[in-house]
Amino acid sequence: MAKASRSAKPVDQEAIGANVVSGMPDTQGEPDHEQDRLPEQDRLPLSGVRVIDVGNFLAGPYAASILGEFGAEILKVEHPIGGDPMRRFGTPTKRHDATLAWLSEARNRKSVTIDLRQKEGVSLFLKLVARSDVLIENFRPGTMEEWGLGWAELSAANPALVMLRVSGYGQTGPYRRRSGFAHIAHAFGGLSYLAGFPGETPVLPGTAPLGDYMASLYGAIGILIALRHAEQTGRGQVIDVAIYEAVFRLLDEIAGAYGLFGKIREREGAGSFIAVPHGHFRTRDNKWVAIACTTDKMFERLAEAMERPELAAPELYGDQRKRLAARDVVNQMTIDWVGSLTRDEVMARCLEKEVPIGKLNSIADIFEDEHFRARGNLTHVDVEGIGEVVVPGVAPTLSETPGRITNLGPPLGNATYEVLRELLDISAEEIKQLRSRKII
Amino acid sequence: MTEGNISTLPLAGIRVIDVATVVAAPYCATILGEFGADVLKVEHPVGGDALRRFGTPTQRGDTLTWLSESRNKRSVTLNLQHPDGAQLFKELIARADVLCENFRPGTLEKWGLGWDVLRQINPGLVMLRVTGYGQTGPYRDRPGFARIAHAVGGIAYLAGMPKGTPVTPGSTTLGDYLTGLYGCIGVLMALRYREKTGRGQFIDAALYESVFRCSDELVPAYAMYGTVRERHGPHHNDFACPHGHFPTKDGKWVAISCATDKLFARLAQAMGRPELASSSIYGEQKVRLEHYQDVNEIVRDWCGSLTRAEVLARCHATATPAAPLNDIADIFGDRQVHARRNLVAIDLDDTGETIIVPNVIPKLSETPGAIKHLGPRLGEHTDEVLRDVLGMTDEQIADLHTRRVI
Repeated sequence: MAKASRSAKPVDQEAIGANVVSGMPDTQGEPDHEQDRLPEQDRLPLSGVRVIDVGNFLAGPYAASILGEFGAEILKVEHPIGGDPMRRFGTPTKRHDATLAWLSEARNRKSVTIDLRQKEGVSLFLKLVARSDVLIENFRPGTMEEWGLGWAELSAANPALVMLRVSGYGQTGPYRRRSGFAHIAHAFGGLSYLAGFPGETPVLPGTAPLGDYMASLYGAIGILIALRHAEQTGRGQVIDVAIYEAVFRLLDEIAGAYGLFGKIREREGAGSFIAVPHGHFRTRDNKWVAIACTTDKMFERLAEAMERPELAAPELYGDQRKRLAARDVVNQMTIDWVGSLTRDEVMARCLEKEVPIGKLNSIADIFEDEHFRARGNLTHVDVEGIGEVVVPGVAPTLSETPGRITNLGPPLGNATYEVLRELLDISAEEIKQLRSRKII
Repeated sequence: MTEGNISTLPLAGIRVIDVATVVAAPYCATILGEFGADVLKVEHPVGGDALRRFGTPTQRGDTLTWLSESRNKRSVTLNLQHPDGAQLFKELIARADVLCENFRPGTLEKWGLGWDVLRQINPGLVMLRVTGYGQTGPYRDRPGFARIAHAVGGIAYLAGMPKGTPVTPGSTTLGDYLTGLYGCIGVLMALRYREKTGRGQFIDAALYESVFRCSDELVPAYAMYGTVRERHGPHHNDFACPHGHFPTKDGKWVAISCATDKLFARLAQAMGRPELASSSIYGEQKVRLEHYQDVNEIVRDWCGSLTRAEVLARCHATATPAAPLNDIADIFGDRQVHARRNLVAIDLDDTGETIIVPNVIPKLSETPGAIKHLGPRLGEHTDEVLRDVLGMTDEQIADLHTRRVI
């Protein structure tokens, strides 16, 4: 979707600290040389799309990461002093402007500093918007409007603009101005209430920023749908994602069951109301496995693995309803059996019978796992000034146009000059002035 | 029907065949259907998709999750193991844009319906393949469900009290939904590429990879410093404090999160103890992290002295990030949820039951998605699809019924 008004040539990826990447998946379809003959702008599905990411932290920006992995050019617009606070969040590295989380999740970006709180910064930003396809932001609703960057101004600058707005509670409704992080959204959206043992302390649902990722995945879907519409009609639009909505949308039948039967789902510990045995079990060597007998056939296999095939008889526990009714008994038998064996033994016996089972992997387990290696899930990147950094590889895996990591989180402002000079055609002298006045 | 106008939606004209089961790959088709794609749910003539029996049943027999997540789909029964069924499937593929499947690797190939066959029939086909472990690698043939994926992908290990039993990370189907989302992103990108080049492709999505990808700095922190993250219980105080769940006087819970010093200053104000945020006490994140137990205790004592409503009112008055740990009854009563129209009630026309389901997200301003109808009855649309899409006659269709091909 090249526009006449914008430079045909994307800003040079290589010039700005692109990193050497290895360990990319060896999982693609057959090598395809026809690919190499395609013009550069067609090799990846999002080649030629320019995205401005002016968000902070993860909720929204992660959508830009995905688009960047599949060929979009991502301009990370940051405040000239300090930039995205994500640069300081989490475990630090040798580089003062980059934590590990920043390096991993700000992948494939170029950093452009602009102060949006200054008038000239705003007009510079609007020029950039005019030459872009997508804008991603996650300020508190109303903030961009205060700066003169509401939808009216942005769509006047670019009628085909696709704008993703991520916030804790959405752009509308009585709570719209409340600040929301993933931790808050997990609680409000109903997920946190469900994690933990019945009647006991609700715990974090695994990781703190889960909701940020979920919101970003919905955001990426919205962007791809809206881009399609914009290309067909010339009309852009706004995608309004509330983090809590992303969390709530993933809770299977919880709304339906309350609506129809008044059922309030409670914390379920290591199990689930939906099937038995379906949970986490401790092995003799004090490790953990997950077993999921979602269907009767799966339980039959487990009974065989336990060398007690009679348990799967219809008059005993062969029927899911009977297992659910005798939940404690069936769980106890599984606890006893798993507890009598080492993790390796339990895994071997279950896998032999095709019982759905998995280790509860710590990150140390994951690094040793042959399947993670074979799928290229751990990508090694050499970063200037830091050395080797390992990050999760690209998901999902596309057979014809696999995504890639060109560089990890960029140094603050590493592409400001080039973008202003080449894309906005601002003179070197003017750029110098903007810099001295701290607008960029 | 809620919002939106189906015929002008951005995916109008795209035909999706969803031959998958349960939630992961089907949820991709659900989203495509909400935004205008014609989704044909191809099911086995006997029993259909196992999701129809997964979870809480309704009077109609189908479960609540089936009704919600098969929204907007048309049900077409087809026995793929019957040669005539496989042939009909190929004819549908020739007229489709997207195929969603989640059989174990090798199953479609066994039926003569592998990627190599299907791409010959339709070179522009976009195929989403979802499995527990992906189409490649040593574990590819293992059975996988979301619970297993949570374990393998590293999230189950992290949920629970420190050193206690690892618990379900809130919901057992999270990994299914996450994979549906990744799959949908893959499909939309592949469609875009196809429109530029005419070439289709397949997307290889593994449940465990979707979970693993959402792991913030877990991977680089282990690689660089050997940090093995453990279960945190209700508080995650590695980077921010306070950041956790606190009980209130009325036996309920609130989440409070102070990611920055400014937010802690607001909390201190809400607690009526602004002095706590002075630089000589707990004004700095670094100091709070060092004394996280003391800080958590102060916040716990304060929350425990007030009802949930009181804690939240005071936090909101100073713009401190705080929220109730909502159960589903709280959510049904919440005015933000109503203002955003997050819940939709739809009556089933056969049993008259009122089914409440989550509304479409994400919200698009110009082309909002829509729910036309909930999950169809098994085979409800078989005849119309064979007639309208494949141009078959009533006699031909009747014959297929008799021979149990459909």
